[in-house]
Amino acid sequence: MEKSAKSKEHKTGIAHPEGEQENAAKGQEHLEEDQDSLAARLRTGNRSAATELVDGYYEQIYLYMRRLGHDRQMSEDLTQETFLRAWHHIGQLRDGKALNGWLYRIAGNVSKLYWRKRKATEPRGAKIIDVIETGETEHDKISRDEELHRLNEAVSRLPRKFGQAIVLHYMQHLTIAQAAQAAGVRQGTFKSRLNRALKVLRKQLI
Amino acid sequence: MKQEKLKESLNQLAGRTAEPAPPSLAENIKQRIPAKLAAHRGGMDTINIIIDLRVNKLTAAVVIIITMILLANFFGSRGLPGDGLFQDSKIVFQYILGASAGRNELSAVRSRYECLVNKGNEAVYYGDKTDVSDSNAVLLQWKLSDGQYKVITGDLQEKAVSAEELIRLQAEMLQKKIRR
Repeated sequence: MEKSAKSKEHKTGIAHPEGEQENAAKGQEHLEEDQDSLAARLRTGNRSAATELVDGYYEQIYLYMRRLGHDRQMSEDLTQETFLRAWHHIGQLRDGKALNGWLYRIAGNVSKLYWRKRKATEPRGAKIIDVIETGETEHDKISRDEELHRLNEAVSRLPRKFGQAIVLHYMQHLTIAQAAQAAGVRQGTFKSRLNRALKVLRKQLI
Repeated sequence: MKQEKLKESLNQLAGRTAEPAPPSLAENIKQRIPAKLAAHRGGMDTINIIIDLRVNKLTAAVVIIITMILLANFFGSRGLPGDGLFQDSKIVFQYILGASAGRNELSAVRSRYECLVNKGNEAVYYGDKTDVSDSNAVLLQWKLSDGQYKVITGDLQEKAVSAEELIRLQAEMLQKKIRR
């Protein structure tokens, strides 16, 4: 139950509640084991493993595309394209720990190629869903929404590399190691890119 | 905006932009899973990396060959840089040569030969010894259950011939080879 809840949280990109850190760590170990076995089966060309990969990651990749500024239809197409490329490059998958980063890297490249072909198209910020939190006044809600809209706009206006760093680490909740692998850079480079992106965002939101 | 507040806001934004993916998406992707997923092929890594970099095939081949020569010179022996490089360059050559139509046809005959051998047929492949441009040259032969032979000739025609006819075709091939 916990594991499925965790997996659901991971799929939708919602952060874990702090009190569940220990359980989350245990769940993470299981997840890594699962990923190891999934990667091993994928390397042998197992089709049911491919189905599992789709079930486990299609939502994440779709959201990643949306957060990278693609509209709904394009995000669907690019998600499909990502998996097609994944099947094509399945032999390059090393181990389970690299599974996340490997798939995100393919998705990043697919998105990059799209933007390269359509330079005139402007990225759009992902749609913000309306949520009413209990005990929140109308004024609080409006000011919070406004702040989030400004932040969303600012993230979508960031240079692509910076925007990708923010999305990978803070919105898709990848670890620094996974996010660096997904961006195709060393961890140090990724951290510095992330810091620079945060600095730019801070300046824009003063 | 302070760094911590910004991180918290980004976290909130992540939650608020987590829109559900269309349910049909997973099914669409699953329908496009190929029947046979390609397992890892050793030696393809270098080529894949270069293809990923979107470099022209010919440029990629030149880069690999130059690198191989430099490494071979550097180490003083072809064996030292490892078989991987050698295998990679072989695959690159096959990849480039495979683009020409004649080679593709020949490789199809070769695949047929391998298939027949796997099935336990007495097949003989001459593709690597004969002149493929000769329409009468026998590229592949195998014995049928009724004592006759099936041959694939240079014009890619498949025909059943008797043992005598086969000997005549082979003798013609040999004579042409001697004349050359």
